Amino acid sequence: MKIAVLVKEVPDAAVEKRIDASGRLDRSGEKNLNPYDTHAIEAAVQLKEGGTIPVEEIVAITAGPAGAERALHKAVSLGADRSVLLSDDAVAGSDVIATGYALAKLLERESPDLVLLGQQSDDGENYTIGAVVGEFLGYPSLTQVVKLDIAGETITAERQAEYGYDTVEIDLPAVISVGDAINEPRYPSLKAIMGAKKKPLEKITIADAGIEADKVGAAGSKIECGNFTEPPKKSGGTIIEDEDTSATVEQIVAWLDERKLI
Amino acid sequence: MSATTDTTISLPLVPSDEELAIRTAVRDIVEGFGADYARRCYEAGEPPSAMWKALAEQGFVGINVPEEWGGGGLGMWGLQLVGEELAAAGGATLMLVVSSAMSGSILPRHGTDAQKERWLRGVAAGTTKLAFAITEPDAGTNSHNLRTELRRDGDRYLLRGQKTYISGVEDAEGILVVSRLRHDDGTLGKPTLAIIDVDGPGFSRDEIPMPYLGPDKQWTLYFDDVVVEADRLLGGEEAGLGVLFDALNPERIIAAALANGMARRAIDQATKYANEREVWGQPIGAHQSVAHPLAEAKVEMEMTRLMTQKAAVLFDAGSPLAGEASNMAKYAAAKAAVHAVDAGIQAHGGNGFALEYGMSDMWWPARLMRTAPVSEQMVLNHVAQHSLGLPKSY
Repeated sequence: MKIAVLVKEVPDAAVEKRIDASGRLDRSGEKNLNPYDTHAIEAAVQLKEGGTIPVEEIVAITAGPAGAERALHKAVSLGADRSVLLSDDAVAGSDVIATGYALAKLLERESPDLVLLGQQSDDGENYTIGAVVGEFLGYPSLTQVVKLDIAGETITAERQAEYGYDTVEIDLPAVISVGDAINEPRYPSLKAIMGAKKKPLEKITIADAGIEADKVGAAGSKIECGNFTEPPKKSGGTIIEDEDTSATVEQIVAWLDERKLI
Repeated sequence: MSATTDTTISLPLVPSDEELAIRTAVRDIVEGFGADYARRCYEAGEPPSAMWKALAEQGFVGINVPEEWGGGGLGMWGLQLVGEELAAAGGATLMLVVSSAMSGSILPRHGTDAQKERWLRGVAAGTTKLAFAITEPDAGTNSHNLRTELRRDGDRYLLRGQKTYISGVEDAEGILVVSRLRHDDGTLGKPTLAIIDVDGPGFSRDEIPMPYLGPDKQWTLYFDDVVVEADRLLGGEEAGLGVLFDALNPERIIAAALANGMARRAIDQATKYANEREVWGQPIGAHQSVAHPLAEAKVEMEMTRLMTQKAAVLFDAGSPLAGEASNMAKYAAAKAAVHAVDAGIQAHGGNGFALEYGMSDMWWPARLMRTAPVSEQMVLNHVAQHSLGLPKSY
């Protein structure tokens, strides 16, 4: 079986996110592999190591600027066997549908049995790309999967739902976005770090992948962004000066009671 | 076998992707155990085994050992990255000094293949930990005065004497002990190195109570005719100072790296605190009396990081300049760490002393580095005599 893991390079969690002059996310600061994707890589590695089903290959795939190579090196250091980077200026500014289309075209070249991805990106936070990719490929897709068993051609998945867990059975090939509760990703080993650049990394253009230029990038995106405003400042809260402790306690209890919190 | 000077090795000033990835991985692993992990180990009287194992399994405690013996092949340059990140994440352990740096450096250069098979593979994997014993109660920093002796006894040897301020014995499988061979005419020879088992017959030890120096303990060791088989000698019966310094220079480099990490931790934490803490209507970091000591500490730390990396690269290249650079790095890094921790504590006000903030836990470990593994005064003596050509002072 071949597993493809969709990954993304995102601004590092420590970087304050800002919109640049062109109306896109400012990506000039420190960047990292989307932390949610590390759970998808770990899930793939665990399937490979688990041995219940033979996994021949794990391929990490991304669409992004040339610098996204570093995110792929990290993905490989965490257990992917090789990686594919779609790096083409035409893709910049793609919305979720356009990105999903481009990724689906990349996946068609690989024809994996299973596509895994993280529950969300740490920058866009759409939570939807897996479903979009599944739709383009005609594969069933599941979100928020926290337990994954594969027997033959059938996946039994447990997914986090609003009021508990759903157990769902679907057939391969499928697109599964995993919740971050599915596993605790391992740390990269020294050997994997030093060997990451020796693993194949294929850089391709939209032409290589058969991606139609007018379906990606700003031109291929229906979502338009604008009229950005700063998020509202948090109010300062209420400060109760503690002059008489029993009076203070009464005030706090009254405040909580008023809001039906106790 | 002595290492030859490789002039193709250079000091990378711009961190590679791999260097950044190594630093991040070590930091993430250590931080995963929590900021107070080392203190919890100290209070429980237990070694930081879980953290050590996690680092070892990913190849980081043997990063310096040659690849053919199961290590990462990145030399002391690699290990100083690990040491700095370990300390910066609050996980400084002296086991990285005595086992990884000292045994992991001397065994590849001077061990026989059988010794490398027996000890070095484990040191590389982190499954074997070796302590190192040189200091004696009556010799102090005067290693020419060492009195622990090795006597021939048929085809083996007997070890007799006493060592003190020996780190990490509680968690070690063996100890690399420096002694001197007793000649037939009664004189003592050049330094000899032998690996002995911990807690074998004739060996005993007493813990030396210490303030919080990290999770490791300090010991006085007693050797009462401990049997040493011939295959336990490293570099022969009289290995000499040249061999010994292939352990002592890495010790200084990694001590410097730990000091650099402590300085970084103190500066980072104090900077965050000074940016957030407001008592006069603005962050206290706006006051130059708070900001300047931290800025000064930052300048000093960046200089000592550079010197530490230089010393590591020179050692890895087998350069004769490694000794001077290692001493200078240790000297400067210890001072910089003490300044940084002092400035950090001061910026924290009373909170600098509360265990909750962790600042005071950096004080004794940083201060230790001015005294050990070699005192500031001995470094200055060495620099005065050997680097400057001034008269010998001791």
